[in-house]
Amino acid sequence: MKQMEFNRRVLLQSATAMAAIGAAGGLNMGSAQAAGPLKLWTIGIAKVGAKDWSAMAGQAGIEIAYNAKSARADEAIQKMVVGDGSKLYDAMSDNGGGMEDALASQGAVVELDTSKIPNWKNILPIYNPGGAAAETIRHKGKVVAVPYISNADSLAYNYDKIGADIDSWEAMFDAQFKGRAAMQNDFGPTLTNTAIYLKESGKQDIDNPSNMNPSEVKGVCQFLIAQKKKGQFRTFWDGFGNGLNLLASEEVLVSSCWEPIQIVAAKKSKMDIRYGTMKEGHQTWNNAFMLTKGGQARGQSDAFYKLMNVYLSTWFGARTLATFGFGPQMQGVNEYVEANPKDFDAKTKALLAARLAGKADRYAVKGNSWQNVFPTHIRDYQDWWARVQAA
Amino acid sequence: MGGSDITAPIPAARLRLQRRLSRALFLLPIIFMLVFFALPLALTVVWSVFERTMFWMKPGFTLFAYENFFFSARLENFLSSMMHSSVSVVVSFVLGFPIAVFVRRRIPQVAQHRVILLFILPFMVSEIIRIFALRPVLQRTGLVNTVLLELGVISEPITAILYTPMGVIIGEVMSFLPFIVFAGFLAMEAVPKYIFEICDDLGAPRHRVFLDVILPLAAPGIFAGGVFIFVNGLGVALLPNILGGPGAVNAGLIATQAISALDFPLAMAVSAIMMATLLGLLYLGHRLFDLTRILSPIN
Repeated sequence: MKQMEFNRRVLLQSATAMAAIGAAGGLNMGSAQAAGPLKLWTIGIAKVGAKDWSAMAGQAGIEIAYNAKSARADEAIQKMVVGDGSKLYDAMSDNGGGMEDALASQGAVVELDTSKIPNWKNILPIYNPGGAAAETIRHKGKVVAVPYISNADSLAYNYDKIGADIDSWEAMFDAQFKGRAAMQNDFGPTLTNTAIYLKESGKQDIDNPSNMNPSEVKGVCQFLIAQKKKGQFRTFWDGFGNGLNLLASEEVLVSSCWEPIQIVAAKKSKMDIRYGTMKEGHQTWNNAFMLTKGGQARGQSDAFYKLMNVYLSTWFGARTLATFGFGPQMQGVNEYVEANPKDFDAKTKALLAARLAGKADRYAVKGNSWQNVFPTHIRDYQDWWARVQAA
Repeated sequence: MGGSDITAPIPAARLRLQRRLSRALFLLPIIFMLVFFALPLALTVVWSVFERTMFWMKPGFTLFAYENFFFSARLENFLSSMMHSSVSVVVSFVLGFPIAVFVRRRIPQVAQHRVILLFILPFMVSEIIRIFALRPVLQRTGLVNTVLLELGVISEPITAILYTPMGVIIGEVMSFLPFIVFAGFLAMEAVPKYIFEICDDLGAPRHRVFLDVILPLAAPGIFAGGVFIFVNGLGVALLPNILGGPGAVNAGLIATQAISALDFPLAMAVSAIMMATLLGLLYLGHRLFDLTRILSPIN
């Protein structure tokens, strides 16, 4: 019954939005209408409210032409910088920290006028100038991206099997989990999280875990090689399905992974799989949307800003938190959930409050380090990661 | 009814045209090889010596990508994936070739191709699904362990069959076994059936028939099937990714990871090295077994 009500409500909202679009079109007010639908290049989890993009389009009052994008930063950068991305897409999402700078420095994306996004006033304070995440959406001090999800990646653990909570990365390298631990098969998050652990536990001097110098990379990788040789890791996972399977099938009891993996693994296995707050810190990240140079030239700026206003609305924030467990980028989500009891029952409300509290705890840890997709010494990262693999 | 006179001489111009068309027809395979093999290979080699830039590469000449491959842990990774692929070839031969021999010798000729067709069926399922489907079978709580535990054969789950080199080898065998069955069957088709009858009449023991008659005659097909498996084992990145242990890689995954780091010359160098390995193997195989014999049933 609840599902039916929800569907009816979404339908009514969509119909209202469509009527608004029609009216705007009739009055010739929408420049986006003149330019056709907003060609959006992004990942499927950037939408909420419906299985397709209708709810997002309805909320924004625009038309969206969705183009599926992989989760690979290299592919996106290549397409936008040396390929035809700007011709094909009006707006795009990134694949983690550091991409905005790369794309903006090449002129592939344009500076944004945040005054055209009414909900910008609700954005998390960490994005304001001088905030911890301010630079993740700026290039040379100018805003070039609008964040829509974020998180502090942590360690998931099987509470049913372990029987205790975990609050330190020490568990990942603890002999009691020998052969039952997994990290990601990606030098970025794995080296960063290990570096955070080594730095904060005083085992290695590291200046910036997200942008290490060659000797720091070497130290972190030598530590991982020693762990690997001891048989600590069951495997290094790659992709959502792999990470999920490892936890849900009890192959591993501790895994450094994305929060949605923990959420789905707990549901699938019906076990108490938890996502901890690590006292040493976490790799924090966000995903953001950008307006391409081509999109601006084709007159899609207004449509882009309307959609970005939705991404910074509590309507989106509450739903992305409920559906995927991703962190909302605006304030007021709890208040929105409280004000909409028909959409969020008591159980869901408690769950969302717990998730938000968990994120707040993780974000508050001093040792956190922001994701950096392209560190300065990337070649050293590559070479040493190959040695970890070969060990 | 004024029919044309078939004994009339064909005009010289038409003859010339026919000859030119025949010659052009022979050129088609050469053009095909140039466009779809030689040109991409040449470009791969050329790009592998370009200089890496931040997002792409620029024309130049440097062997840095090769140095980066041969004087790093990547060579070790490449060699270990070659070793795993070699083991997969041997296991596939042991399991697959007897199937080819059995179908050729024991199944009635009219049904042989249909039976062989059955081996195509797994290929109609996406490779990623086939490989993923192995995990519920091999994992700690999977089918194999559950059955063995229930039967009391083991007291602890076997963990050596997944997320290990053995897991990768099992995946390679399950994925590529049909290659050796096909190639073996093709090779066996080149062996006239009366040869087996003569062997039977002379009372030759089975192992002698296999070692002295079947193997030498079917060697080109076995070699070709083996090369298919070996090269796929080196190149299909999914296998170590899904079934391998911590950091398991093959050449395909080395190239993929180089691309992820926007190191295109390195990815090209890995591809060029793989192609060189393949060409070297084919040359060796041709010298040893005359690979054109595979096509003798068609001739």
